[in-house]
Amino acid sequence: MVDLVLKFVSSCRASGMRISTSEVLDCLRHLERIDCAREDEFRAALRTNFAKSVRELAHFDRLYRLFFHEFRLDAADVEAAGRFADQIGDLARRLAPEAAPEAEYRAVVDFLAGDPQGLLRALHRIRTESDASPQTVKFNLAPLEGRLKLLMQILRVGDVAQALVKSEMTDLDAADRRALAGHVGERLDRARALLMFEPLPDADGIRKNVDAGERLKQLGEKPFSSFTPREMEEMREAIGGLVRKLKNITSRRFAVRNRGALDVKKTLRAAARYNGVPLDLKYRRKALRKGRIVTLCDVSGSVWSAARFMLNLLYSLQDCFDRVHSFVFVDRLTEVTEIFDTHEVNEAIGRVLGKADVGFNATTDYGEMFRHFKRGYMEILTKKTTLIIIGDARSNYLSPEDAILGEMRDRCRRVIWLNPEPEAIWGTADSEIYTYAPWCHEVRPCRNLNQLIRFIEELVL
Amino acid sequence: MEYQSVDDVQERLTAAGYIPSREIATVVFLAEATQKPILVEGPAGVGKTELAKAVSRSLNRELIRLQCYEGLDEAKALYEWEYAKQLLYTQMVKGRINDIIADADTLTVAVDRIAAQEDAFFSDRFIQPRPLLQAISSEEPVVLLLDEVDKSDPEFEAFLLELLSDFQVSIPELGTRKAVRIPFVLLTSNNYRDMSDALKRRCVHLYIDYPERDLEIRIVRLKVPGVEEALVRSLVEAIRRIRALDLKKNPSISESIDWAQSLLALQARSLSPGVLSDTLNVVCKYQSDIEKVRKNLDRVLA
Repeated sequence: MVDLVLKFVSSCRASGMRISTSEVLDCLRHLERIDCAREDEFRAALRTNFAKSVRELAHFDRLYRLFFHEFRLDAADVEAAGRFADQIGDLARRLAPEAAPEAEYRAVVDFLAGDPQGLLRALHRIRTESDASPQTVKFNLAPLEGRLKLLMQILRVGDVAQALVKSEMTDLDAADRRALAGHVGERLDRARALLMFEPLPDADGIRKNVDAGERLKQLGEKPFSSFTPREMEEMREAIGGLVRKLKNITSRRFAVRNRGALDVKKTLRAAARYNGVPLDLKYRRKALRKGRIVTLCDVSGSVWSAARFMLNLLYSLQDCFDRVHSFVFVDRLTEVTEIFDTHEVNEAIGRVLGKADVGFNATTDYGEMFRHFKRGYMEILTKKTTLIIIGDARSNYLSPEDAILGEMRDRCRRVIWLNPEPEAIWGTADSEIYTYAPWCHEVRPCRNLNQLIRFIEELVL
Repeated sequence: MEYQSVDDVQERLTAAGYIPSREIATVVFLAEATQKPILVEGPAGVGKTELAKAVSRSLNRELIRLQCYEGLDEAKALYEWEYAKQLLYTQMVKGRINDIIADADTLTVAVDRIAAQEDAFFSDRFIQPRPLLQAISSEEPVVLLLDEVDKSDPEFEAFLLELLSDFQVSIPELGTRKAVRIPFVLLTSNNYRDMSDALKRRCVHLYIDYPERDLEIRIVRLKVPGVEEALVRSLVEAIRRIRALDLKKNPSISESIDWAQSLLALQARSLSPGVLSDTLNVVCKYQSDIEKVRKNLDRVLA
């Protein structure tokens, strides 16, 4: 039993789940107390110890099914695998001589023999490893290439194995030989299915946006992209009013913030007035926690019109936050925090557009942007940071690199994606929003002022 | 009064008014047997808090509940010194202090004498226990519920780690307090943010999803006994179809129960389109959701 669980744990780890030794120990202790012959209990014990968040559950279920059902490693009901155990072992030895050729080939043969670790690890690598070198011509090929390589090896192992069964296993009768060949074929089919199936974490946990109330009726419902210059001016005024209001609300909040511990010095000083009797207790004030914000703004085409209002609002409210870092990107990131620090908001927005090293002519590439962020800026994300990404997630069919967004999520408090496109066309054509969505805590449309205001209010208050 | 087996958990929770799935029962049993906290996640209204209440009823233990929110700190969660009382006592015993130091020759001796008395002021008498300290120092074992722990700050989460792994807390003036009886701890989370790995490692995890159809029917019948079975059946079917509609907020078990109650109050015999349309605001909490369901009435009642 211990051995079986350990094997399962290493398979889980190979495919990217984080399981600590203490969790394995807990699980083994738990298994002693239940009836392991009842599968629902056995499964519940494993699940409760190994899948510690909603997002890992789907992943766990998949591995569990693979390991305990499709594989039937040590279980007694394995008809084919049990009957042909020796032959399969023999086959595996013949398929992979000592000087193992490529790692992928080895992995596939191991899979055939009942050990999925190698294959799972290879798959995990393909999914998460990003293309380190940005080429002049961009390809989406690295993951595809890795997949193709594995697929070729599966086919190769299949061919060799079938030939071996035919020529070498002469001590079996024809029916058994057919059954063995069928079993080998089935396992390889499963390996192929694994390769083709893209696991995505469950997106159930993300919050859905709730519509803004009816405020600023006409202007508020108009998409940012269809503003005339005059309306732009009106908009700025409206934002100015809103900023004043929000600041009022927050300052009131500072005034009534929770009291902290007793302030002895102040209390004693106040007591002097009452002949040394401390009638009037003074408390130390607690500093209100302020959020840290990192924004990544897509400045290509239509998205910019939404992003500029968002930036305008954020920076007008800067004293409500601890620090605002902002980046703009088309295919690479450019840090613009400094421009906003040294210039007045509206002027700064104009300057960003004129900044030379933003590649306005390039095609949008979210994958490259994430790679760039990972290389250069990962350490600005802390557990206090709220990461806001504004963009349509249209990355011209280039690799989305959503695994990096996953890493970023691990480092910060919340990830919020604002999409200026209407919800109806999300996920169409090259939109990768649903690929990114599972990694975000919140995905919301941000097409007009009402939606934007609603969002900012939730952020500040 | 501990649970004997998974079956025992299932029976006793049912008797306490909560019908658990086999998985829930298994996790509760294991957590109780090995004294591990449970981190419960799941959509709003599936009965996360209710589970804690049912556990406390079935174990016949007191339930101590701490509602977490942003800005919650140790003073609200663990203990607070009663400053006013301390100061008042200092004033009242001023005379005694004079007696103590009356025959002290030097200032040093006087200070030493007062220092010898300082325990009198930092003692249990002046401590105001908050839920966590109550749970730790209770003579009887209790069930401790930390509700919506994802709303609290990361600092508070770090502070919880000591409590959850060793069942002890540190009070600087008094030293470390170990739990008299180890409480059964449940934490609930609505997935507002991810909990840290360190916290997750110390807990066993339980995800409660919307229940299977038959289970939901049993739950509704248990909670609203007066409704006819056929009506409950069609109600649960309708709820399940509404959940498939992709609403802003999916109706949960609590909505099913509310709905059954309002149907009972209206003395409805069957779920006709008219009845459904009239009672929709019990099921859906947003106007846009209500409209969406109205538009799809035929699909919901198919």
